[in-house]
Amino acid sequence: MSNAPLIRLYGPDDVLAWEAASPRSASEFLSDVAGLADALPDVPSILNLLSSRYEFLVGFAAAMVRGQVTLLPQSRAFQTLRRIAGEHGDCYALVDRGDAIDGLPCVTLSPRQGRSVRSFEVPHFPIHQEVAVAFTSGSTGQPMPNRKTWGALVSVARDTGSRFCLETGRGRAVVATVPHQHMFGLEASVMLPIQHGLAMHAGRPLFPEDVRTALADVAGRSVLVTTPLHLRACLMTEVTWPLIEMIVSATAPLPRELAREAEERFQAPVNEIFGFAEAGSVASRRTVSADEWQLLDAVTVTEEEAGWAVRADYLSRPVRFRDRIAVIGQRSFRVLGRTEDQVNIAGHRASLGDLTRKLLEIEGVQDGVFYLPDPGQGSLARLTAVVVAPGKTSEEIRRALRLSIDPVFLPRPLVLVPRLPRNETGKLPREALHRLVEQHSEHGSVHER
Amino acid sequence: MEQEVAALIVHTLKLKVDPSAIQPEDALFGDGLGLDSIDALELSLVIAQTYGYQVKSSDPEIKVMFSSLRSLARTIEKNRSK
Repeated sequence: MSNAPLIRLYGPDDVLAWEAASPRSASEFLSDVAGLADALPDVPSILNLLSSRYEFLVGFAAAMVRGQVTLLPQSRAFQTLRRIAGEHGDCYALVDRGDAIDGLPCVTLSPRQGRSVRSFEVPHFPIHQEVAVAFTSGSTGQPMPNRKTWGALVSVARDTGSRFCLETGRGRAVVATVPHQHMFGLEASVMLPIQHGLAMHAGRPLFPEDVRTALADVAGRSVLVTTPLHLRACLMTEVTWPLIEMIVSATAPLPRELAREAEERFQAPVNEIFGFAEAGSVASRRTVSADEWQLLDAVTVTEEEAGWAVRADYLSRPVRFRDRIAVIGQRSFRVLGRTEDQVNIAGHRASLGDLTRKLLEIEGVQDGVFYLPDPGQGSLARLTAVVVAPGKTSEEIRRALRLSIDPVFLPRPLVLVPRLPRNETGKLPREALHRLVEQHSEHGSVHER
Repeated sequence: MEQEVAALIVHTLKLKVDPSAIQPEDALFGDGLGLDSIDALELSLVIAQTYGYQVKSSDPEIKVMFSSLRSLARTIEKNRSK
């Protein structure tokens, strides 16, 4: 296989997307792609920030037609977008109507500028064509680009589909609560449907009632692609749920009890995907019945000098696991724990070192650190920052942080202290940090959050 | 009602702030209290449980609703079923 089609298993009139309750057929999609491809500027990289999942796909495909690479920033923070754009030479942004990003050429998608395509001809792309770049926090704290070829995306999508028996997806629809600019979102909510003839819902439902409406829009068999956070929210809500055929969760570990409850409530299997931006999805499990992760067909795990790594034909080199794992037999593994520096908040991953570095870059901040407290009961874990910044208010620091980091990582609380409890080697013992935060909370000197 | 909703926000999101210190017209998201979409989701669950009102994004009022304590309290008052 040296080429792979943009979409697969659709007839011209099959539904490829639901925009709310309005269907968009596969042939309409191809004409939307051709029309936009004609209109895109001649620039090598594109930041696709469209909020409709369907429009994002049209933009993504049109960029591929033009040989352009779609950049997938980890966060929508303004400075991040500008920096990524700056590092990728000539770059423009595809944005929703009415949106703009200062300092970047912006293109909007005209409503349905489809060029009529005479026959139902599906474009094919070389599997080695670089089509997307996902960014992750590298060990130095600088965002690292992870280049994705068309072959990598197609292989993961097809193997995930066959793992979940979606090979004949016709008549099924994918409803997703995850952002499509996220690596897992791109794989499971965009690539998975188009490689199996499934319809995708264009929305990105947030509230449980939104999820219910989206499921009702597609009126039929549906696959819900979501996160533990959204799944928990849905389970806490007393509404009558439309039929769901399967739930796929990723981005954070799904507690088994939550998976069990979801299986009972929705009368559907809950599958979990394990992956990370550098390698993409690599394994899956049905959470209620297995601790072990089963590797996707094209993936193998090998022991390299630096530890366990993922190999696949579509990866240019072995990719190290971010977690500590134990390999069981040939095709499965167990996760032993996360590496200390990595945190995952609501599906967004960051390095504490990177966040701390950004904190220290703020004018007036003399010392400071981000850390993740142990999660309280039933609440979402949020980061805490302890900061030394004489003369500054926590609000000023928070405002500065907002410019450089994704809002989910904004610390709560942000505690101002006269000095950090560094030990003789300059390290910050977690216990000492924790005591300090408690102390400052008790005395009421925690400044807002 | 505003005080009640302020207390609900502080309790639900475990904010280190006195409910009475939240100004009715202050922004809840972004530069104000600094809430985000995860907080909105958490709040929506508690609002549904407490007042029987299912928040949804397609609601024309949604943007206004989460803009301040005052508008949140008003929207809940208008749509509550318990």
